Amino acid sequence: MNDGPSAPVFEVRGVSRRFGATQALDEVDFDLRRGEIHALVGENGAGKTTLAKITAGTLRPDAGELRLFGDIYSPRRRADGSAAGVAHVRQQLSLVRGLSVAQNIELGRPRPQAGRRPWPRRFKSASARAEVERLAEELDLNVPAEELVEDLPLAVRQQAEILISLAWGARILVLDEPSSALGPLETEVLVRLCLRLRDEGTPIIYISHRLGELAELADRLTVLRQGRVVVAGADVADADMHQLAELMIGDISLLEVQRPRTRAGEVRLDAVGLKLSVEHGAGLKDISLQVRGGEIAGVVGVAGNGQEELAGVLSGQVRPDSGTVLIDGSDVTGSTARAVANGAALLPEDRSAGLATSFSLAENVIARRVGDPVFASWGVRRMRPVRRHARSLSERFEVNPPEPDLPARSLSGGNQQKLMAARELEIDPAVLVASGPTKGLDPHASRAMRDRCWETARRGGAVVLISADLDEIAELAHRVLVLSGGRIIDRFPTEEMTSARLGAAMAGLRIEEGDDVSPQGVDS
Amino acid sequence: MSKLGEITFWTATISGGLRLATPLVLASLGETISQRAGVLNIGLEGFMITGALTSLYVAVETSLVVGLLAGALAGAGLALLMTALCVRLNANQVVVGFGITILGIGLTGYIFRLTTPLGGERRQIDIAEEIRIPGLSDIPFVGEAFLSNSAITWLAIGIVPVVWWLAQRTVFGLEVRSVGEDPDAAYARGVNVLRVRSVATLISGFLGGLGGAAITTAMVGVFEPAITAGRGFIALIVIIMVRWSAWGVAVGSFIFGFSEALGTNLRNIVSDEVPTEALAAIPFLVALIILVVGARRARMPKSLGFNYIPDR
Repeated sequence: MNDGPSAPVFEVRGVSRRFGATQALDEVDFDLRRGEIHALVGENGAGKTTLAKITAGTLRPDAGELRLFGDIYSPRRRADGSAAGVAHVRQQLSLVRGLSVAQNIELGRPRPQAGRRPWPRRFKSASARAEVERLAEELDLNVPAEELVEDLPLAVRQQAEILISLAWGARILVLDEPSSALGPLETEVLVRLCLRLRDEGTPIIYISHRLGELAELADRLTVLRQGRVVVAGADVADADMHQLAELMIGDISLLEVQRPRTRAGEVRLDAVGLKLSVEHGAGLKDISLQVRGGEIAGVVGVAGNGQEELAGVLSGQVRPDSGTVLIDGSDVTGSTARAVANGAALLPEDRSAGLATSFSLAENVIARRVGDPVFASWGVRRMRPVRRHARSLSERFEVNPPEPDLPARSLSGGNQQKLMAARELEIDPAVLVASGPTKGLDPHASRAMRDRCWETARRGGAVVLISADLDEIAELAHRVLVLSGGRIIDRFPTEEMTSARLGAAMAGLRIEEGDDVSPQGVDS
Repeated sequence: MSKLGEITFWTATISGGLRLATPLVLASLGETISQRAGVLNIGLEGFMITGALTSLYVAVETSLVVGLLAGALAGAGLALLMTALCVRLNANQVVVGFGITILGIGLTGYIFRLTTPLGGERRQIDIAEEIRIPGLSDIPFVGEAFLSNSAITWLAIGIVPVVWWLAQRTVFGLEVRSVGEDPDAAYARGVNVLRVRSVATLISGFLGGLGGAAITTAMVGVFEPAITAGRGFIALIVIIMVRWSAWGVAVGSFIFGFSEALGTNLRNIVSDEVPTEALAAIPFLVALIILVVGARRARMPKSLGFNYIPDR
């Protein structure tokens, strides 16, 4: 084995893994060298996460071989991976939420096999806390040791998990879509942390489908498509991102799409003086906004600054402490029933909140219309029209497969999102509240969702697009509202969106003057 | 009613309360561990009654200590069945739990009938004497009421801090909480979820069986069908009301035991005009109110009752 500076520390040779009928990985080769960040990119379902799990020891491959620092590496469970120095930070993070960071550092911690300690091992809270604090200081992170994980913002949980990996003696780090739920500032912190870890000797496998962020981060890049390697370890410095995007998708380039702006008409959504205090999160502190028919208002901000609360209140799911929400002049404050009756549609960020995943496609699709005489007579469901309707609607919204009787949970994330859109947007809504509609989706599915939002506006709906994806905002929104600490602290036409202005607003450096509640920058 | 003012009435009621609380403390401490690990063990009553019969029958042939141990192991044996079905084979915890309760009551009743001819003599054992702490047990009132207990009661009191320590000060305690809160995350952190849940369930069976054994071997001296009289279910209530805390379990169990002793002792002193049933019920009502008001902060293990299937 070559021990030079670019010798592989981790190697994958001919690894395959099948789930039922799906070949998730098909004879994949991959290698990670000393001192590099190696990006693993691909669409949803390309096999990135499967490879990460196999690397970590959570899954076993059907065939193929792994080598770690030259030795055969065949972990049988997650603990074997940790003990060998492989850390895997999952997309849905894996710190136990009901425990503190200091408690999580001891939980599952690998121990040297020799000299087994007596059972039960004592948990020494003081030394665990000291260890977290020492590492946090070393890494220049603000990770509180004693707070419960569930009370920490997502970005901090992620930092805590990386910190714990290092405490456990990680020799290689696998980060699965680490930036997908982060705002721009948080992503910057993450990128700095990754570069620093790399320079200090921990190579990183960085999984992403945001090609844009890889340029400043990754050294090499491997592209997976449908379980196969299509680009193997190319140098990022020489790579043509547009070409890579094409390889990843297999067809059209998706970068820098220009959208014609839709025409704005009458005010359809009118929210005044919304206030809400919540236990966790920023709540809402006197938010007013108006959105016209045909207009898309983009709401941005660092995650956890009131986005969730705003989506809940605007869609009638949450009753604000004070303030009103009007749709076409009707008061729908705090009532989903009235909101729906007045044509409100909601695409929530959490798909499991928007779908009954154990119910079938057909049942989900007609959920807003269960009492409709077309679908029920005398309280008995008429299955044939329901199925027919579900199939045609699924086809129209490109839900794949469009099988009415499949349970919704058997669909991929992107298709679940499309199914939700099919139900919500079947009848042109007056108001659409879309919260992170493309979060975690591959470019294809994202495209379809953006089309839906745009189409809704074109047909005269007022759209509130809450998104952490600034490209999405730039592409779709007429104007931008910046949320910080539960307030709208800046608003401007999309054309004026610059990273300097956004960054300042998101960091809370700007306070909105006066009580200006009128929408600005509406093109008409 | 004049006896209510007498100090001997209260010392008797308190020491009786401790005695009656003993099986409850043991059973609910074990159940606290299994519930914290996410295993809702409704079969506790079954563990207890099986432990009750086994321990008495073994103790009659051998000795008190061997009998208690046998009762605990019998409970652990049933817990092994629960582990196999629920933790490993993914059966529904509620269904299996009730099954184990019915099995325990039915089987012990059957064995009792087989071994006790009609009109014949029941197996019987002398109840162990009180253990008095020299000096301390002679303190007026406190010594009589709180510090003169049978060995099994002292054992139950001694196990409380052990369980607390296990839950709060050991890595095993963290593992137990993590698999009960968020088994998916715990698994991803490298915790062997199924093993932790199995161990927790076995501990629950062991202490449940010991709790049952305390009734027959240490308190009553005989077995009769359904002698546990729903204590396994009361233990479940205690745990929920004290929010899965070891010290809470001790206090909650004592309140129940004290209420029961109070009800019994009141029946002996008040005259006929008050129905005994009403008297028997009032203390429980009081206990419920105290427990509900006294324990507020809800923090149920999030995955309590849900099986975990690792994806491979």
